Amino acid sequence: MQNTLDWQIASVKDIKIETARVKSFTLTLANWTPHRTGQHYDIRLTAEDGYQAQRSYSIASEPERVGEIDITAERINDGEVSTYLHDVLIKGDRVEVRGPIGGYFVWEASMSQPLLLIAGGSGVVPLMSMIRHRAAAGAKNPTTLLYSSRDFEEIIYHNELDKLQAANGNLLISHTLTRSQPAGWKGYARRIDESMLQEVVHPLGRSVQVFICGPTLLVESAANALVHGGIMPNQIRTERFGPSGG
Amino acid sequence: MDYPSEDFNRELMLDANAIAGLLHEIFGVEMTAAPAKCANCGNEAEIGTLLAFTHGPGVVLRCSACENIVVRIVRTPDAFYLDARGADYLKIQIG
Repeated sequence: MQNTLDWQIASVKDIKIETARVKSFTLTLANWTPHRTGQHYDIRLTAEDGYQAQRSYSIASEPERVGEIDITAERINDGEVSTYLHDVLIKGDRVEVRGPIGGYFVWEASMSQPLLLIAGGSGVVPLMSMIRHRAAAGAKNPTTLLYSSRDFEEIIYHNELDKLQAANGNLLISHTLTRSQPAGWKGYARRIDESMLQEVVHPLGRSVQVFICGPTLLVESAANALVHGGIMPNQIRTERFGPSGG
Repeated sequence: MDYPSEDFNRELMLDANAIAGLLHEIFGVEMTAAPAKCANCGNEAEIGTLLAFTHGPGVVLRCSACENIVVRIVRTPDAFYLDARGADYLKIQIG
């Protein structure tokens, strides 16, 4: 059996533009193993002179999709790996990967507690894997995604999130736009704060399981506000999703 | 993102989830869900919660409670150097 740490060559099956700075890459894997949502793959690039650069990317797809994964990557200016993925990689190319990796920031549909997912920017990626898995597995646990973006055009997976919400009465998608909002915007229009968190937590009840992924300041302020509001720290899992994804 | 940090190092800070593969390589098992105890403040938490500074020649993991250094790792062409003196213990699951 393939060891999760063995490097393998993946083929780029498809590339999808999500926003101006974000693309999703569908990778076909000969040695595919089902992942737990929230896990990563490492991607390693090797230059002709042997120089290597390696980064960890969250899996965006659900484990029910056999033989392939999606990763979604933001283009980081001056980033060694993300600029290659965005500017050079084309359909049919091959890249070296290993995974799935990680065991702390993971959710499985068998975990039946109400679920609160809090995302900032491209921090939505591992949470999208959870939402897609939840839909594919037919899970019924009440689930809310609170998703903070700078402006409307930067919302990743917007249409798919709308469709998933429309198809599932137990899934609520709540957006906040921190910089600018289009005319008639009905979502939140500020950074995530304690009163916003109270509004989204309340309907889910005290036994809620929380996953937060985004920049450090968002992760820490949201986690602290939830603990201040009475959620136990062991109900909260966090992952910092920095620009160093590079 | 619109949640700027106060300094450059914190802006680039991740957590140990980002080096789950490296930790797995060194210890031979998945480590991010395993607990560690900070030798400075006594905080016990999953290794995935440790703050990770990955932009130097090595990796530094700090306690999320007191920010003391818990683990330092440097990789050379043929070895890992591991300094874990900032931990009272790390749990390595063997089955």
